[in-house]
Amino acid sequence: MSGTVTIEKRQSRTTRWLLAPGIIWMSLFLVLPILMIVYVSFWTQTTFNISPEPTLASWKLFFSSDTYTGALWTTIRIWLIVLACTFVVGYPTALFVGLFIKSKTLSTILLVICVIPFWTSFLIRVLAWRPMLGKEGAINIVLQKLGIIQQPIEVLLFTELSVIIGMTQIYCVFMVGPIAFMLSRIDRNIIEAARDLGAGFGRIFWKIIFPLSLPGVVVGAIFVSVMVLGEFATSGALSGRKVNLLGNIIITQVGSLKWAMASVVGVILTIVMGFVIAGFLRIVDLKREL
Amino acid sequence: MRPRTTGEVDLDTSVFRLDGVTKRYGDLVALDNATLDAGENEYISFLGPSGSGKTTLLRVIAGFEAPEAGRVFFNGKDITNLPAHERGIGFVFQNFALFPHLSVIQNVSFGLTHGKSGLNAAEIERRSLEMIEIVGLSGMQGRGVDQISGGQRQRVALARTLTMQPKLVLLDEPLGALDANLRGRMRNELRAIRERLGVTFVHVTGSETEALAMGDRVVVLDRGRIIQIGTPGEVYGSPASPDVAHFLNRFNLFEGKLAKGTFTGPFGAVPAAHAVRSDRDIYAVRYDRMQAVDPSAPVSGPAIRARFVASEYLGSSVMNFFEAGDGHVIEMEHHLSLGAPQTFEPRQDYLLTWNPEQAIVFGREVA
Repeated sequence: MSGTVTIEKRQSRTTRWLLAPGIIWMSLFLVLPILMIVYVSFWTQTTFNISPEPTLASWKLFFSSDTYTGALWTTIRIWLIVLACTFVVGYPTALFVGLFIKSKTLSTILLVICVIPFWTSFLIRVLAWRPMLGKEGAINIVLQKLGIIQQPIEVLLFTELSVIIGMTQIYCVFMVGPIAFMLSRIDRNIIEAARDLGAGFGRIFWKIIFPLSLPGVVVGAIFVSVMVLGEFATSGALSGRKVNLLGNIIITQVGSLKWAMASVVGVILTIVMGFVIAGFLRIVDLKREL
Repeated sequence: MRPRTTGEVDLDTSVFRLDGVTKRYGDLVALDNATLDAGENEYISFLGPSGSGKTTLLRVIAGFEAPEAGRVFFNGKDITNLPAHERGIGFVFQNFALFPHLSVIQNVSFGLTHGKSGLNAAEIERRSLEMIEIVGLSGMQGRGVDQISGGQRQRVALARTLTMQPKLVLLDEPLGALDANLRGRMRNELRAIRERLGVTFVHVTGSETEALAMGDRVVVLDRGRIIQIGTPGEVYGSPASPDVAHFLNRFNLFEGKLAKGTFTGPFGAVPAAHAVRSDRDIYAVRYDRMQAVDPSAPVSGPAIRARFVASEYLGSSVMNFFEAGDGHVIEMEHHLSLGAPQTFEPRQDYLLTWNPEQAIVFGREVA
């Protein structure tokens, strides 16, 4: 009996030691700063100063200003559109890489190719869209040379469209990866069995393949959502400052030392992300599926 | 079950027929000119070592692989070029291939729900529940397939195939994924279910005991060729070739020379009145037909001197292993129903003898 107790004691001591670095790190650099941001959002802000007297002024300002609430809706709209685009572009790609390609080597090579753009810096990837989409950019030149259009298409750059194009390209791979992983784990015999039972491709896809890849979709959607909701660089570089996301507001507010307002926006963004992630996790039980 | 004395089947009751089926993977010949007939309401076992082409043969019948040459007939129709799902042949996969995200009843009803059955939901549920009851899973229909045991998964896989009412069910090593105890029980269950439904089962296995215990007929394959077709009794009692005898894992095989009705092997020259035609000269003696005596004892029949190595207790019998002078291992089985086993001294020499009339002789020269 005493032996069991010692082993249990030792195990719980080991568990504590293994958990300690993570808990300390997360407390110091995640929990504490978030609490701090929440606290600062109630501070009193004057033009050149900030003092810790509690007030709801910044919160009231956020919800009464069209600029701020507009940024909230723009963020949610762009997030939903980009999420849909990455899914529409990413799922077929993942289906091809993860399921239709039989050779493991080839599918690994294709996944690596998807990651190649990440070998350059984030800003270069975003800025590279300018010479592509611009009024005298590659797409307009090619279309004009082919005689398809007479006038260059101007909506391609410095609009919401260019932000969506840029973000879809950058974040698509985060959707492809998890889905391709889940698809590659599907036992091919299951698909053969379903076909043998007389189900057509459509039925097999909707009843077998898609449900089994759903955990991948959820993980991919969480990746994309978290990154898009916190975005500011792509919208800054490709919209000509016309598209303001919550991330852009935070940058501007911090830049003009408006810490209280930056904190309000930060808290709202964190709450939105929390709801989004919680919502996705309700779709599947990831602990069971992965 | 109809009694069957030969490997022949009446053509008018034939459910499926293979006619000269050949399949290659590059240079490897997986199936070489396989010809076979299977009757209605029959349990057929394909027996062969891994790489013998037994699974390939099953997949050709199912339609997952297309043969290079030869025809496959099912219900009197040529189905060689028909896709798998239009053949009406059920297939039970080795690893069961259940749909992991669906419940037992959703798995069982999958074919009826998503195929071309055209049945309404109530009828589909009725049939599925009936099949779940037949395979002995009543009350489990709502469980997820990851919440049931290996043997129960096997039953779900079988039920899923049987709801489609196929005339022929192909089972790819169906008991391979089960533990020994369960294997024995499922063996009886598979037979019972089959007899209840009157469907022809084709069962692929690498285990000779399974093939002999379950098949109404056993088809032995080796290197892509069918080398014997017969009832278990025929195959066991008179294997058609040394290879068959070898797969059955019940015979001591001695190499030697057959000439003028005499077999000359490591045990000396023995008269061999009957011989089975073969491309090699082999002398086969069943494990349970061997006897061991003291080296000084007089023996009447042929005998070979061998050293006792070890014995293995198998419950109903004891296996004794001897080593002959040339390193050849000779096995001797003693059924405990025949009395207490002899005890042998390790590393002592004994004389192993047998009744030559019970031996099977294979040879190029047949009297």
